[in-house]
Amino acid sequence: MTPPSASALLEAKALTREFDEGQVKALRGVDFSITEGDFVAIVGPSGCGKSTLLQLLGALDRPTSGTLLYRGISLPDHPNPAAYRAREVGFIFQAFHLLPTFTAAENVQIPMFETDRSASERRERAFELLKLVGLEHRLDHFPSKLSGGERQRVAIARSLANEPSLLLADEPTGNLDSENAHSILDLIIGLQQEQGRTMVLVTHDPTIAGRAGRILRMIDGRIVSDDKR
Amino acid sequence: MTFFTVVIRGLSRRPLRTGLTLAGISIGIAAVVALVGMSRGFEKGWQVGLKARGTDVVVTNRGGSLTPKPFDASVRDRIASLPRIDATCNILVEVTSVEDSDLMILSAREWGCFAWNNLELISGRMPRDATEEAAVLGQTAAEVLKKKVGDPIQIETKQLTVVGIVKGGALVEDGSVILSLPLLQGIIGSPNQINAIDIRMKPSSTEQQIKELTRQIEQLVPEVRAVTVSEHLSHNEGFRLVKAMSWGTSLLAILVGVLGVMNTMLMTVFERTHEICVLLAVGWTRGRIMRMILYESALLGLFGGLVGVAIGAIGVQVLSATPAIRGLLQPDLSIALLGLSVVIAVAVGISSGLYPAWRSSRLNPSVALQAG
Repeated sequence: MTPPSASALLEAKALTREFDEGQVKALRGVDFSITEGDFVAIVGPSGCGKSTLLQLLGALDRPTSGTLLYRGISLPDHPNPAAYRAREVGFIFQAFHLLPTFTAAENVQIPMFETDRSASERRERAFELLKLVGLEHRLDHFPSKLSGGERQRVAIARSLANEPSLLLADEPTGNLDSENAHSILDLIIGLQQEQGRTMVLVTHDPTIAGRAGRILRMIDGRIVSDDKR
Repeated sequence: MTFFTVVIRGLSRRPLRTGLTLAGISIGIAAVVALVGMSRGFEKGWQVGLKARGTDVVVTNRGGSLTPKPFDASVRDRIASLPRIDATCNILVEVTSVEDSDLMILSAREWGCFAWNNLELISGRMPRDATEEAAVLGQTAAEVLKKKVGDPIQIETKQLTVVGIVKGGALVEDGSVILSLPLLQGIIGSPNQINAIDIRMKPSSTEQQIKELTRQIEQLVPEVRAVTVSEHLSHNEGFRLVKAMSWGTSLLAILVGVLGVMNTMLMTVFERTHEICVLLAVGWTRGRIMRMILYESALLGLFGGLVGVAIGAIGVQVLSATPAIRGLLQPDLSIALLGLSVVIAVAVGISSGLYPAWRSSRLNPSVALQAG
């Protein structure tokens, strides 16, 4: 087995994920390596396994076999997957997944409970982040009072709460109209580039994928092409 | 925002359901406070009554019913000469219906003994002698029976005259019809029968000397039991039954409370599956999720306990003011009982949150968060 390359942030080898005792094979042996600072788009038709792959990268799920390393450490064997999710990863979902009983500012603070920040520091940081995504005037609004675009901005602010190295975005503009989709995409890409974060973005939209530095194309649980530009 | 805010937010999510659950626990805890408070008050009332008379040791038959079985008055003569006894008083107590009151204490005392001394006249006079067909009423008994000095009072088959109203320094005394021993013995047709001997020890008798006396009495007269005043009640079947029933009923109420909270917390976990998965996805540990659910259920218990204690305490006061109970029972709501009730409520909350908390921590975030 070859040792992981020094600059790889994520490295997968022969990664598989099966459901229902092997009846459903979502991933059929995936190999790739992602370098720190990369912007990678994963594209493919529905059911090709791209969301499953993203969940493995975020340690929300465990592979059936194969290796998956984050900075050389095996993710499936990570001693504290919660800490990995809290500190290393920021998730952006298609359905936003904000908590309905918390305000915008509170939603952004939720991940910060896993850090040493005091209550006032958490509040301050939430304000900064919401300002960064252009929502400083919506701090105390509940998600139900926000538009789709605004909700996704809150979710983006939340994903940045603990300054993660890795952003994982699953169809982040899938629930938005084209105008909002455009500005959200600009925001995400801007944040990724300015702050030098690694981003893995799942989409089926070729124009969105076209803005990534690298496109992994998946069909039926396998990576069929890897275009670096 | 603090972790506590998160917990409160969880509870305020469904205000109606939270409110109903709180009501459920409150009623359970109110039952604990009311029932246990009443039974303790009942017990304490008798104890204070005996102490107000200056009684240190009570001699009764070996049975343990609330009004002990009668025995022959001659027992007193056999024990009166034992050391350190200051005075003795033959007593015959009956709990029976008198006129319109279903439960009235008839307390017949040997004429002239120390058990008469603590009675303080409010109006009228004491009976002239042992044979005068007269009774004095404790002030509460007088109110309950609606009697004043000079009124006739029907005791079983005999009509007596109320000659005085007295204050007895204790609930039992105030709630009693007090008459001389031969009079009641005559009425119920059992001369020479008594069911208790109250004994007063010489002043400065130690706890040990009192114990020693009870042992000597039992040795001398094997068919009786001699106990100190506080022991007297704990040996009594009636009091034990009341205590067991009140705790038993309370336990049932608490069990209902546990099931209520558990149901609510399980529903909340099922309903919030998606939210809990989001929390897991953004890095919350399973421990923190469990803590959140447990704090919520503990808080339900705490609030329910506080409300329940208030309802129970007020309810019991109202209840003890009703004519049927008045004078017989003053609830004993000690801080310890109220505190214990709140502790029980919190324990109910925590224990019923354990399973839902465990369930919540087993959730798999990947399933709930598939892009829709």
